Amino acid sequence: MGIWDTITDLVEAATPWTTAEAEAPAQVEEQKEEATPSKAEDTEEPEAAEAAEAEEAPEEEAEEEEEEEEEDDEEELVDPKEKFEEECKESKQCAPAKHHFDECVERVTSASAQGESKEDCVEEFFHLAHCASSCAAPKLWSVLK
Amino acid sequence: MLARSCLRSTRTFASAKNGALKFTKRAASSSSGSAAEASPLRLNIAAAAATTLAAGSIAWYYHLYGPTANAMTPAEEGLHPTKYPWVHEQWLKTFDHQALRRGFQVYREVCASCHSLSRVPYRTLVGTILTVDEAKALAEENEYDTEPNDQGEIEKRPGKLSDYLPSPYSNDEAARFANNGALPPDLSLIVKARHGGCDYIFSLLTGYPDEPPAGAVVGEGLNFNPYFPGTGIAMARVLYEGLVDYEDETPATTSQMAKDVVEFLNWAAEPEMDDRKRMGMKVLVVTSVLLAMSIWVKRYKWAYIKSRKIVYDPPKDGPPTRL
Repeated sequence: MGIWDTITDLVEAATPWTTAEAEAPAQVEEQKEEATPSKAEDTEEPEAAEAAEAEEAPEEEAEEEEEEEEEDDEEELVDPKEKFEEECKESKQCAPAKHHFDECVERVTSASAQGESKEDCVEEFFHLAHCASSCAAPKLWSVLK
Repeated sequence: MLARSCLRSTRTFASAKNGALKFTKRAASSSSGSAAEASPLRLNIAAAAATTLAAGSIAWYYHLYGPTANAMTPAEEGLHPTKYPWVHEQWLKTFDHQALRRGFQVYREVCASCHSLSRVPYRTLVGTILTVDEAKALAEENEYDTEPNDQGEIEKRPGKLSDYLPSPYSNDEAARFANNGALPPDLSLIVKARHGGCDYIFSLLTGYPDEPPAGAVVGEGLNFNPYFPGTGIAMARVLYEGLVDYEDETPATTSQMAKDVVEFLNWAAEPEMDDRKRMGMKVLVVTSVLLAMSIWVKRYKWAYIKSRKIVYDPPKDGPPTRL
């Protein structure tokens, strides 16, 4: 809150991020063409075609770049929440909870291998998950849009 | 007669007084020996015993009735959701309408196959999430019943903006039958209807672990989710990386989709939030102006009272007055 937000808002409005808004009217035009079948086509077609030609030139380059980025993204797309929580589980903050959970898993698995185990590790899991998610929450929100 | 009885009574009182004196003297003389050192302990025994009894009875009562025994395990309670720093939950922040648009896309492509959103008409989407033409086109994709015609038959017509979003199932029983007995709740008010609100739903959507912890019993047809009370939830994990292609090219990670759809569901539950916050701001502004005005008016009205001076001017001549 404050003057800095106003400045950042102005900067955001001026930056090329606004291309997303510029694309929106083009989509509406396309929808109009679909919605209104015959009459509108005659009048709007040349305009739309011109507009499309004019827009295509810069867009093509942008699209190519985006496609490349998308391909990269699809390969590397990792949920930041899982990534941060894994880091948090290994951190010193969650070391006690992780220690208890690992010990419990070991105990229960060995007990169930021998016979019946009357215990489960849900409570230990809760403590670990709570620690990890509360540690990851601010980091996650700084990454997500 | 009266005088004699009075005399007698005074005499008996005097003798009693003497006796008491003697008694106290004797007690004092007897305790002056070796027992004098032990006397504080002996005098305090009663007080100490009474204090012990009092403390003990409190402890016993607390032991018997103090802690309430809840027949609950942490698994039954469910893991309480973590508090996330939602921007739209701040006092003077609005919904991010770009996020609402993404969230509506997630709802439409993912959630809508099982969950209804029956209290949201298309007209509310206009201006907040979609443009008029987009909303109209979306409404026309679905068919709705008309009013009965001349023959009393009910025909179908394409949807209008005043229609409500279609439900995936015709009624609750059909929804249960299709989902192995579990009813997917209507999502119109789900953010208000669950403890933890946005945090709970976000945690629920993203909280499915890869495998349940060791020893946890997961019922047949259920999935383990720590945030769901009882940890066994019929809904499986639905959000996976890249499930949705966002039109603004936001990377569609699980948590991004969950965040967007939760913000959208919060909008569905509280569409008036933006206006409500603006109204709150207006109330604060108007009341502060009124407060300032009332203070100035008070100063004005009281000015002559505050600035007056009461002076007693005694007459210099004449006789001194007696008050």
